Amino acid sequence: MKRCLLAAIFLIASLVAAPGAETPSELKPFVRGSWQEMLRSHAGRPTLVHFWGVTCGPCKVELPLLGQFMKNHSEIDVVMISADLVPNLPGAARAMLEKAGLGSAENWIFSDGFVERLRFEIDPAWQGEIPRTLLIARDGTVTTIEGSAEIPDLEKWLDRQKVASK
Amino acid sequence: MLRMSLLATLAFSLCQTTAQAQMSHHQHASEAACEEVELRCASKVTPAFASDGTLWLAWMAGGRISVASSKDQGRSFSAPVQVSREKLNLDWGPDARPQIVVEKTGGIALAFSIFRDKAFNGQVLATRSIDGGRSFAELQPITSSNESQRFAALGLDADGSVFAAWIDKRNRVPAQQEGKKYEGAGLFFASSKDGGAAYTEARLASDNTCECCRLGLAFAGPGRPVIVFRNIFEGGVRDHAVMTFADPATPGEVHRVSNDDWQISACPHHGPSLSISPAGTYHVSWYTNGKARKGLFYARSQDEGRTFSDPIPLGRSDRNPTRPYVLAGPRGATMVWKEFDGEKTSVNAMISHDEGKSWSKPVTIASTTDTSDHPLLVSDGQATYLSWMTKADGYRLLPIGDGS
Repeated sequence: MKRCLLAAIFLIASLVAAPGAETPSELKPFVRGSWQEMLRSHAGRPTLVHFWGVTCGPCKVELPLLGQFMKNHSEIDVVMISADLVPNLPGAARAMLEKAGLGSAENWIFSDGFVERLRFEIDPAWQGEIPRTLLIARDGTVTTIEGSAEIPDLEKWLDRQKVASK
Repeated sequence: MLRMSLLATLAFSLCQTTAQAQMSHHQHASEAACEEVELRCASKVTPAFASDGTLWLAWMAGGRISVASSKDQGRSFSAPVQVSREKLNLDWGPDARPQIVVEKTGGIALAFSIFRDKAFNGQVLATRSIDGGRSFAELQPITSSNESQRFAALGLDADGSVFAAWIDKRNRVPAQQEGKKYEGAGLFFASSKDGGAAYTEARLASDNTCECCRLGLAFAGPGRPVIVFRNIFEGGVRDHAVMTFADPATPGEVHRVSNDDWQISACPHHGPSLSISPAGTYHVSWYTNGKARKGLFYARSQDEGRTFSDPIPLGRSDRNPTRPYVLAGPRGATMVWKEFDGEKTSVNAMISHDEGKSWSKPVTIASTTDTSDHPLLVSDGQATYLSWMTKADGYRLLPIGDGS
């Protein structure tokens, strides 16, 4: 009986580990200071930052649309930040990103138990509702979209960025 | 005055503990201080006082729900009892927490939600103890439906029956099969006449409500449950609504608490709080980020929720006020919420002695320098207490001065 249980645990553990092992995509731990680090590394480039979570219903619908948007627009940097309260689930987050075609995006995952502090660094007025999209222009101007973003709105914003850079 | 200095002493000792805990504290990517099942490792703690003054706690730690009691207002606790033999995949959503009610006869009813699959579909499980919390019956689903359920709220009615309400996705698939768009989830309810051993068949109170926020539950009188919930109004506006039941089996009309105009297709994870005074005043506090107003607000109703006073804002808007909780206690109404200054989280409190018409100046009553549970209020019939679980400082039960 005990052996059977051990075998089951091993099987479950390997199943859970599988998506991570198969995919090269990296989930960077988002901790104190990560926000500024991320902003610095994309300075001067149009950047879409999307906050999402594995238990968020609207996120499940939106993620594949964002995956397609990223595929269609190599001119924009796409940064995905899994912003669920910890315990965050890297395996589930990675699987959802891969399925949505976002495995190759710059992917982060909240990795500080003090989630209020992480959110405060990003936007002191943000209380954690997800999905949430920040569109960062070349000059650093931020446009915030609360809730699910409409892809046509993203396209329009990106068109304006192209005009602005000419 | 004595009470105020007691409060000051308590606040001071809490700060001291904070400082000591901080020195030995290292960065830990968890919202809990440790991974075991004991109270100090809990991420969510829910209090309830029994009629004999015993404090009962139900908490989430180490993948278990545990229960213990205290005869000395939280200074020491009985040996904790775990309500399940196996480890559970507990719902860790920000607004999820175990629910506990303690009957006059000593029976204890519990409900909480788990994630039942990899798609994070929830299931509400219930159990009860008839031997003073020494053992709990086998966990039972609160409803036979296999669709996702979360955010159960339990309340004890005057006749000893247990009223339960929760958020339930069962109407989604049938609506979609008919080609209709389905938003949010249904607000469902049931009740138990045997202390939470068996619940009546689940029934719908209101459909298309927000799927990811806690509910506020109180009683307007015997057999008259009242629920405050984040509704989805026309155009996807997630503002708050209240429903007063005619009896535990008869839902009432949906009335709007406030027109905040928060149109959002997202999970705010930030539900309301409701308490009803013996005089019948409904006290409601909530969070919104609407076009009409943003932040935490309070309003009251003196006509059973048909109309509400103009919302008043709570807290400092530059300090991200969150998680409001209101309780009409024996000596007036108390309200608490969290604020964050970039380094530490504090709990602020204010008190009203005139049914919520006017409130005292907010006072910081506790603070912590790491993550924390929502601040909750609980009353033993004599005083009102802050019940607050913090990662760095453990569990705290603080009497709140009445401001007089």
